[in-house]
Amino acid sequence: MYKYTEQDKKIVKNRTKEFKFQVERRINGDLTEEEFKPLRLMNGLYLQLHAYMLRVAIPYGELSDIQLNKLAEIADKYDKGYGHFTTRQNIQFNWPKLLDVPDILSELAEVEMHAIQTSGNCIRNVSCDHLAGINSEEVEDPRPWCEIIRKWSTFHPEFSFLPRKFKIAVTGSEKDRAAIKVHDIGLKIVKKLGTIGFEVFVGGGQGRSPYVAKKINDFLEKKDLLNYLEAILSVYNELGRRDNIYKARIKILVNELGQEKIKELVDEKFEELSDKSLELNQNEINNIFNFFKLPIEKKTNSKVPIHSDKEYNHWLQQNVINHKIRGHSIVVISLKPPGKPPGDATSSQMRELSKISKDFSYGEIRVTHEQNLILPHILNSNLYELWSRLKKLGLSTPNFGLITDTICCPGLDYCALATARSIPISQKISNHFKEYSVQEKIGDLKIKISGCINACGHHHVGNIGILGLDKNGEESYQITLGGSATEKASIGQIVGPSFSTENLIPAIERILKTYEENKKKNEDFLSAFNRLGIDKFKEDLYK
Amino acid sequence: MAKKLKGEYFYLTANDLKTGSVVYYSKNNWSSDLTNAVKISRDNLAIYEQIAQNHEKECLIVSPFFVELDEGGEIRKMRDKIREKGITFKLNN
Repeated sequence: MYKYTEQDKKIVKNRTKEFKFQVERRINGDLTEEEFKPLRLMNGLYLQLHAYMLRVAIPYGELSDIQLNKLAEIADKYDKGYGHFTTRQNIQFNWPKLLDVPDILSELAEVEMHAIQTSGNCIRNVSCDHLAGINSEEVEDPRPWCEIIRKWSTFHPEFSFLPRKFKIAVTGSEKDRAAIKVHDIGLKIVKKLGTIGFEVFVGGGQGRSPYVAKKINDFLEKKDLLNYLEAILSVYNELGRRDNIYKARIKILVNELGQEKIKELVDEKFEELSDKSLELNQNEINNIFNFFKLPIEKKTNSKVPIHSDKEYNHWLQQNVINHKIRGHSIVVISLKPPGKPPGDATSSQMRELSKISKDFSYGEIRVTHEQNLILPHILNSNLYELWSRLKKLGLSTPNFGLITDTICCPGLDYCALATARSIPISQKISNHFKEYSVQEKIGDLKIKISGCINACGHHHVGNIGILGLDKNGEESYQITLGGSATEKASIGQIVGPSFSTENLIPAIERILKTYEENKKKNEDFLSAFNRLGIDKFKEDLYK
Repeated sequence: MAKKLKGEYFYLTANDLKTGSVVYYSKNNWSSDLTNAVKISRDNLAIYEQIAQNHEKECLIVSPFFVELDEGGEIRKMRDKIREKGITFKLNN
């Protein structure tokens, strides 16, 4: 894992002191809310429906046991005893007091954490494949590249006031688990003629105008990564719209100019940066890669314990993935137990998971953009004991990748922008389909739920997407079908008129029936949808 | 603040600056308890808007706005109902 340099420590410490002073000035009346708002947002502090909300950065979703324990402490000491893991691999605390936030940031700094660039019109937390460095089909570990980008983008003076927020994701695999094609910039590590570099995608995103990103570079050399990113950001900073918040993201610029023109502009700008001051040398790259060496090197013949417990076997089948080093496994901890708010973890769960990660996974734990946690390095022989401990915590739900493993935004229960609730919808789904046998029969299926058109719940890329709307004061839910955030990214199509809360589950049941009746052997939902087309589903749903 | 409001009666609400808690304007003070809130008629909105502005300047509150009430005197919008009653599901802990 990455460890802060003295420079990193100094930056975070100074920022904490600076924000403490800003809070004091706000409370004393030296700063108005208008003046204070951009300052608090730069430190991840929002004012939501009920209270302040603090979003803490988890760079590329990687946490140590010490950091997770600190998050548990903060949840108890300053919040209501829980935290919410987000689709940007961050964590949010929903109830902090403004007066306490400087102390929270100070405690976070003690464990090399902060809330910098988790909000505002800057380059946000860079997200990453949650199986980075541990899956066998990867070209190269993307985490060091995320760290290189983090270092470059933190407090970048030119890119602290962009037209809008800016999100970058990196994957090192053909199979995209980081949703790179619905990011402002998506980077895919590729190998061509024996050399490793990047494919570069720009202009993806969700919100009210969803787009799949366009590829503008087939092969970018490693050394040029930061100069090229600088070129993209410079073009966006110059030409991105600042007059209309709804048209300010780079996706609008890319789609107005077109793929060829944006490529041309970026290439021109890239040439202009001829001094190549950001060119990376191999030593710098190596230094960063050294932080990310795997804690296990040796293959073993460690075997998965055999037990007759049905739940254990379901969990093994669903939530345990092969590690690239033989004898080890990757364990997905579902934060979607039946009837619980997706992505939430209590302080006691976090505290115990911290111990578990220390005992079983070299003190490493990861957050996925699908709001689950990962224990990356588990010796196979420890799997039964690990499962037993997770079960005691209520964290052994075997639903990874299944219908109840929903992504869900906080919705109207927390969010000042939402138009409808989303968490209760997710709870209804997870209760209704809670039986493993039912979920297993349906197979791989991603349901994603947003409480408004801003799409924080990624509904546009759900195989079944659910968007909460306000229709004359009543909540209603629009369904989209066929979305995907994978390497074959697609934006879901609206199936028809929206459904009331009561009719939503029957509608999902009807959609699943169409799938069940028409699927070919071993055909998953998305493949069946792509083959059958939306009209078939529409016809069945509204007849 | 008072533009485009529906109905004849309203509560004045905001968040406490230091804690972020939801508060309602009661007689001469801000309270987290809605039962103490002053019911404001449309004719008096300007007076209470001024009070809110003053209290914002005094750093007592942030983000004030009027909550619309229906004919029965109940909060009209779901967002404002949730804001008053709290989240609508049981927490994990």
